[in-house]
Parts: sequence; C-alpha cells; structure tokens
Amino acid sequence: MSTAYPLPSGLSPATVTNTASLIRIVTLALISGAAIASRLFAVINFESIIHEFDPWFNFRATKVLASQGFYEFWNWFDPTAWYPLGRVVGGTIYPGLMATSGVIYNILHALNLPVDIRNICVLLAPGFSALTAWATYMFTKELKDESAGLLAAAFIGIAPGYISRSVAGSYDNEAIAIFLLMFTFYCWIKALKQGSAFFGMLAGVFYFYMVAAWGGYAFITNMIPLHALTLILMGRFTSRLYVGYSSWYAIGTLASMQVPFVGFQPVKTSEHMAALGVFGLLQIIAFAQLVRSHLSSKQFQNLLFVAVIGSGILGSLAIVGLTYKGWIAPWTGRFYSLWDTGYAKKYIPIIASVSEHQPTAWPSFFMDLQLLMFLFPAGVFLCFKQLRDEHVFVIIYAVVGSYFAGVMVRLMLTLTPVVCVSAAVALSTLLDTYIDPVEPLVPEEAAPPASGDDSTTTSASGSKKAKKPAAGPSEPTTAQSTPKPRSRPGIFGLDARLVVIFNAFGMLSFFVFHCTWVTSNAYSSPSVVLASANPDGSQHIIDDFREAYYWLRQNTPETSVVMSWWDYGYQIAGMADRPTLVDNNTWNNTHIATVGKAMSSTEEVAYPILRKHDVDYVLVIFGGLIGYSGDDINKFLWMVRIAQGVWPDEIQEPNYFTPHGEYRVDDQASTTMKNSLMYKMSYYRFAELFGGGQAMDRVRNQAMPKQGPTLDYLDEAFTSENWIVRIFQVKKEDLLGRDLKSANAFSQGKKRKRSKPTTRRRAMV
Amino acid sequence: MRFSYLLPLLPLCWAASKDALNTLVDLAAAGNGLINLDGNTFDLLTSPKRNWSASIQFTAMDQRRRCAPCREFDPSWVEVAKAWSKTPKEQRDQHFFATLDFDNSQVTFQKLGLQSAPVVFVYPAAEGPRQLPSGRTTPSKYDFSHGFEAGPLAEHLSNHTPIPIPYKPPFDYAGWALTAVGGLACLLTLRFISPILQSRWTWAAGSIVTMLVMVSGFMFTRIRGSPFTGGDGSWIAAGYQNQYGQEVQVIAMIYGILAATIVILIVQTPKQTSPNRQRLQIYAFTAANLLVYSILVTIFRVKNRGYPFKLLF
Repeated sequence: MSTAYPLPSGLSPATVTNTASLIRIVTLALISGAAIASRLFAVINFESIIHEFDPWFNFRATKVLASQGFYEFWNWFDPTAWYPLGRVVGGTIYPGLMATSGVIYNILHALNLPVDIRNICVLLAPGFSALTAWATYMFTKELKDESAGLLAAAFIGIAPGYISRSVAGSYDNEAIAIFLLMFTFYCWIKALKQGSAFFGMLAGVFYFYMVAAWGGYAFITNMIPLHALTLILMGRFTSRLYVGYSSWYAIGTLASMQVPFVGFQPVKTSEHMAALGVFGLLQIIAFAQLVRSHLSSKQFQNLLFVAVIGSGILGSLAIVGLTYKGWIAPWTGRFYSLWDTGYAKKYIPIIASVSEHQPTAWPSFFMDLQLLMFLFPAGVFLCFKQLRDEHVFVIIYAVVGSYFAGVMVRLMLTLTPVVCVSAAVALSTLLDTYIDPVEPLVPEEAAPPASGDDSTTTSASGSKKAKKPAAGPSEPTTAQSTPKPRSRPGIFGLDARLVVIFNAFGMLSFFVFHCTWVTSNAYSSPSVVLASANPDGSQHIIDDFREAYYWLRQNTPETSVVMSWWDYGYQIAGMADRPTLVDNNTWNNTHIATVGKAMSSTEEVAYPILRKHDVDYVLVIFGGLIGYSGDDINKFLWMVRIAQGVWPDEIQEPNYFTPHGEYRVDDQASTTMKNSLMYKMSYYRFAELFGGGQAMDRVRNQAMPKQGPTLDYLDEAFTSENWIVRIFQVKKEDLLGRDLKSANAFSQGKKRKRSKPTTRRRAMV
Repeated sequence: MRFSYLLPLLPLCWAASKDALNTLVDLAAAGNGLINLDGNTFDLLTSPKRNWSASIQFTAMDQRRRCAPCREFDPSWVEVAKAWSKTPKEQRDQHFFATLDFDNSQVTFQKLGLQSAPVVFVYPAAEGPRQLPSGRTTPSKYDFSHGFEAGPLAEHLSNHTPIPIPYKPPFDYAGWALTAVGGLACLLTLRFISPILQSRWTWAAGSIVTMLVMVSGFMFTRIRGSPFTGGDGSWIAAGYQNQYGQEVQVIAMIYGILAATIVILIVQTPKQTSPNRQRLQIYAFTAANLLVYSILVTIFRVKNRGYPFKLLF
C-alpha cells in the first residue's frame, strides 16, 4: 500500500485509539472553552448585566425562586404587572430556565460557594452553549463519525446564529433550549437506531425539559412525527421505529402535561395532533404486521390491508371532525402565521410588530452562518448519498428549518444547529478524502487501455461510455485471478491534497475571524447600556435607561403606577420595581391597545384613561437627541395600529401621516400626530435645548419647529442625560374642579376665550 | 310608499332630502349599485343633511392620468359595490357606493385637498338614526395597508354599513380545475413517473433547491413584496435588511455553485483514474471555489458597508 506521505510505523492499534480519544476529549474541552469565551464580549466590554427585555423578567422570577423557594414561585401572583389585573406568573411561564438557575444556585450554595444569583443568570447561556457543543458532537457522531462531530461542535460553538441568542447576560429561554433541542434529537436518533426504549425514554425526559423551558418545543413535537411518517412512507417501518417513537411519545407527552402552562394542550390543540396521529398510525401498522406474521391466507391479508387503511382514514377524519366541532383548538395565530405569512399583520399586529418576527433577508443568513451557508447544501447532498434513517432526519430538518428561518429572523436559531451539523459532514468528508494518505490503486490491466482509448478516440464522452462496460465485467475476473485489491478511488500526489486542505483551512480561519468580528460588534450589546465612541476613539457609555429606572426607584412611592409601551414593562418591573400597565408578556391585547390609545390620542382623551388606570408616571423613550433609532416615535405606528384594531372609529392610522402619505414629525406633521400624547411628550421642550438654533431630530433627520408642543395634563418629572428616557407625572384633578387646560391657562395669566375650546374640540374629532 | 315604515323614526327635515335620496337610489340602480359621480351629485351625496352613509372612491381611470394603482383597485371596488347591491332594499338604500373620477370633477379633488388617487372615503350619516354615537360627520379614510383586494375592503367597509356586505370571493374555477386535472394526470401516469418519484435524486434536487431559495431570502421578497430589480435598474438593494427579487436568484446560484465545487471535490474527483486529469480538476475546482467565494464576500460588502474582511477583491 503506497502512501502520499510517510506514516509513523510501529504503533500498536491500542495506542492509536487511546491517543485519538485523548485528543478528542482535549479538543472538545477547548471547543467548550472557545464557546464560552466568545460569549463573554458583553461582560468584558460592559459589565455583568442582564440584557434586553425578556431576560429582565426571567431574572426577576429567578430571584423570587432563589429567595422564596419553589412552592412560593409556583404560586406566585404578581399584582404589579398588568395593573390592575395582575398576572398569575406560575401558570403562565415556562419555568425550565428559572428552575435550572435555581438548582445551580442551590448546589453552589450547598458547596459553600456564595455566588450571586445575578452572575449565575448572566453566565448560564455561555455555560449551556458548551453543553450544546457537546450535544451537537454526539448528534453528528451518529451521522458520520467523531471527526465530523468535532467540526460540528466547533461550528456551533462559534456560529453567530447561535451566539446572537446566548451571549453572557442574554438570560432567555433559548439559552438552554438549543442544548435541549439537540440532545432530544440525539436521543431520538439513538433510540431509532438501536430500537432502544431507554433512549426513547431519555428523549421523552429531555423533551419534557424542553417543554418546560421554551415555547419552541412545538418544533420537536412536529419534527419527530414528520421523520417517523417519512420513514413509514419510505417503507422503512421497523420495530426499532415503533419502540423508539412509542416510548418517546408516551413518556414525553405525559410528562409535558405536567407543566401548568401546557396542561392539556398536547391532546387538545392542532400543533400536537401530528404527534398523536403518527402515534396512532404506528400502532395500527405494528398491529397489522403482527397479525400478518401469524396469517397465511392471501385474501385475509388483503382484507387486513384494507382494514388498516380504513382505520387510518377514520382516525384522521375523527381528528378533523373534532377540530371542526371545536374540541381540538385550531392552530394558534403564532404558529399559523408561519404558514400564512400575511396573517399576522392583518389579525395580530402585536406579533407582527416585533422586530424578530420579520422575514429574513439573505445578508442576515450570511452574517450569521457565513461559510456554513454553502457547506450546508453540500452536506445535505451527502446525506442523500447515504440516506440512512438519521440522514432522512437531517434532510427534513434542513428543509423545514430553512423555510422557517426565512419567514422569521428569530427562527434562524433553530436552523443553526442543522446547518452546523450538515456543514460539518460536508467539510469532514472533504478533509477525510484529501488527508487520507493512501494512494489510489488503478487496476494495471485497466489503466493502459483507458489511456489508449483517450489517445485514439476524439470524444471524451465516447471513452467514458466505453470504459464503463469494460470495467464492470473485468472486476470479478481480477478479483478471482489475482489476490491484489481491486481499483480504489483516491487522490494522487501530495500537492493536490495540499491545495484542497490549504483552501479548507483558509476558509475555516476566515470563518473564525468573521465570527469574532460579528460577535464582538453586532451581538454583544446589552441594549440596556449603549456604547458610543468618543472623538479620540475611546468608549463612551450611555447609561440613560438605568439612570431613569433608578430615578423611579428612589424618587417615587413604591405603589406609583408607570405607564409605558409594552417593550419596557419588564425592565421597569425589574430595575425600577414599580407596577406597570403592560409588559412584554403580551397576553392581553385590549390592555395593550388601551395604552396605545392613550399614547396616540390627544391629552384630553388620554387623561381620563390615565386617571382610570391610576397612572402616576408615563415613561417614553426618545432618541431624537442622540440618534437612538429604537425609540417610541419609531414604534408609534404600531401603537396606532394596535389601538386601531380595538377602536377603529377613534384611532385611524392614515391620520398620522401627512396628506402625501409621509411619516413626519416636523412642522408638516399631521394635526393628529402633533396633538398625540406621544408626540407631545417626546418633543416637549426639545427646541429649547438648541437655544436659538434649529432643533434637529437626529433619528428622523427632520428639523423641528421652534415652537414645541405644550402639555396641560402632565408635568415633566425626569429626563435622562441624553434624553433617551423621559418621565412625565400625571397631574391630579384640579382642586377647584376646572379642567386642567383652563386651570393651566389661568395660572399662566391667559385670558379665557370662550370660543376656543369648542373649535379645538371640533378639530380633534 | 317605499319608505313609509321609516317615516315615524325620522325627523321632519328628512322630508326635504327625500327627493335627494330617491335620486340617489335611482342613480345607484342605474349604475349597477355604483353611482358615477360628478360635482353636483357629489354634493348631493355628501350633503350635510344626509341620513344615509356613503363610501366614495376617488380615482383617475383615464389613460392619460397614468394611475396604475387606480386601475388595479377599481375591479375590487366594483365587486364590493355589486355585492352590496344584492342586499335587501331597506338596508341597501341606507348606504351608497360611488366613484368620482378626477376628470369628472377636478374641483372636488381640490376642495378635499386630494393629491393622490385612489382614495376611499366613508361618509357617515349626518342625521337620522344612523348617525354615529360620537356625532362625527367628517369622512374616514380607508387604509390601503391591506392591499387592493376586495376581501379586506369589504370587511372594513362592513363596519360602516347597516349590515355586513355580503361579499364572497369569486370561486376560483380555473385554479381548481387545473389542480384536478393535474392530480388526475399524476394518478394516470403514476406508473410511468413512479421511478422518478421514488428516485432519491429527485428528492435531493427538490430539497436542495428549496433550501437554497429559502436561505437566499425568497420569503423576504414574498412577504415584503420586493420588486425584482430596483427602479433605476440596480439589482442589489441598498441596505442590510433589504433585498430585491433578483438577489434571491444570484445568491442561490452562488451558494449552489460553491456547494457543487465541494461536492465534486468529494465525490467525483477521487474516482478519476488519470493522475494528471485529477490534478487539473482539483486545481480548477479549488480555484473556482475561492473565486466564487470572493465574489460572494464582495457582494456582501456592498450590502453591509461596515464589513471589514475581503478575499481576493
């Protein structure tokens, strides 16, 4: 056997195996280290702080769990959220994340390691990313081998598509969910391969953990049945499939029903019906197989076949009928909007308004997965080449996942694991082929005629055709006559190997640079604290949010109700510890629409709403001064739309545009816009800041009028350093029973004009 | 007396506008449920003493006006008006559908300050039992954010009519027939196409093309309705979170070519029995890979200006 480069000789196979497994362990440890380290940019650049919006609620809930114990947490009714309704927290959350941190917290404290709960929450996501890398390694190992597994682990460790949801401080359900997703899939593949009830049970248990942790568990609930159904349709029903699926479904479903938020959904909603249907189908098929093995009569077998088909159809008709009668809930809007993509914008604007529910343009895919993006189809192709049961799974996952990721930016997260796995299969096959030192063998009788053919015949295709039939019959004869091995494909020479390997390593190192750049620049901002650069290049921290929330915390009574748009509800509850009207758990559309209506109507209309809801402070986010584009004026149209959905007669979106259909805030803005509470609060006294100069809104790049809006029913209470957060106090009713507008006019010494209020009122309607 | 049973409900001044109502009813009947307005009939329809409501489409259908959206929207409007004309008489005569063309009354357009078309205004009843509880008499504008389709239009206008507009989308005979014929053809030729259906490579091609198209932002262009190319002929949309239809094709093709080079290097090249030809293949496909990848990175740099890396160019 000739080799392209010398191999060390005299190594016992045991030494090779041991060294290989040692290297694997070391590599996996290093990959885990890299996965954790690359998620710490946020902590190093800023500080150990909880990010964004939802994590603030999770953090608050975890604090309750850690300080008061599990039962208190389970029965926790939060009267400060959704004021005055309150929220039954224990029954309306996925508790997996908080329970995980609570367990870690208690273990560490039992070991006398007094770690702050905040640090556990901040570092949970990076920690679990190391576990994800390991689960992906295990999964890919089942598809190909250990080397592909290591590559996949490395990919998922640093791929920005996953980092975006798991940087330190991003304490959200997804932080642990991707590990659970991959590990459940691994157990499922393992159960399917071995026909093992143990791994099926394990898949069920981890499925339960996933259900307890993330609403995206429906992805598993539908992926596994889809895989099983495809295998049945491909004629690959085996008892292994039966055992694996049945144990997963039975244990997983019963366990998942223990989560209060899920309850009886697994038997009552359409999202779960696929799993139930495939479970039933498997029972029927297994029964038919059993009966058939005991029967001989051909006719009876035919009869049985008809009976099986019939009962399958009856079963599905029953499900359809139950759905029609309302016993089974149809698809919920959130899931339905994945299929009918225009649905959400029409009927559930709250879902459509979230930026992470927007469709994905191709640059986002490339930004998040870069090199993996084109190794992915190659890997799927190789899966088709082998097409064992587990490859079918990856193929289905790839197709379904890429559709979902295209529809919603946020679902890029579920696509990332399969891209990493499939890309690793492709790249490791490439490296296997080109690192393999064994030179190819060309059968000596076949080679000279082949080259002779080339020289004599002019057309290349002709020679190929001629060669194939010749090679076919010659193989058995060579095998019989000579003990030499037959023709073996491979790569000739060292330089050809080096070219491909060099190119592959070049691409991989480019990938590493890319991931580092994306992670540090795009995905490591806590969004609670903003960073900008000083003229000399040093970092300038903009800390307006915490400044304002701490102002609320220290200067207002604990019972004062703060109204803001729902995005900031969790942050106010978490950092300012004040009751809020609405928050990011968008369960009550009418309540949110009420806030939207208050923000988008005039002061006179909004004031009774504010007073009826006991609102003491109104908080708005305003980016016009420093150019912070995620402010409330930019979100304003969604408030209008959501309010319009409930009060179509009073709030109308077109009124907020100029006659030309533009969204403007300068002096050409529409009257409705200028009179809306949100506009008034945002630009109140804004022009004064510029002295005599021209006031500029730096987000919308529009010059503001010199005469800013006036407020009669609210008082400015606090404005943060860069004006990002503005807090207004709602005035109490006038003591003399006048309306606040005329009281204000009186105290400013203006004479009361009789005609004015009536004309104003007419203009407003 | 057609409206005798309504009389006791209505104030006396209604009698004055009775003639107006009769005129409008006749006009609507003549226009198949849709009144074709001019300046005078517009004033009649929107008179401050009206006890009926009206939906009015302001449009410019003349070819010279070059109003493509007007022509696109008009069929939906006619459909909904026709659906309304099928309602029982007593409800039908409380709400009118009308169209005012720019060329019939430019004055009205100026009076209302309309700068663009099409626009739909809904005038609520100003008097009588159908007056709005809020007392509002000024028109409200229909929001075209749901598109020009008749379905959402009818649904929205039903908020302003005495009874919901009985609009049903026309049955799609052609589509169903095509599906039925296609399905039947598939069943009949099942014997011949089943080898194709059962071949894994058919499925492979299908899945891989689907994946490539999806990850190239096809759904983005579908949902956002992006044009195929820009108005100025450019095919790359400016901005990181935006793209045109042609980008889907180009990017999918680039991904496809890159994946193909990898697959060929893995599957095809090792089977080559001639060392020289194999070497040539390896160099060629590696170079192609590097080259196309560089092109991809360059295109990405156009989309994301801040991207600091580049390969060959």
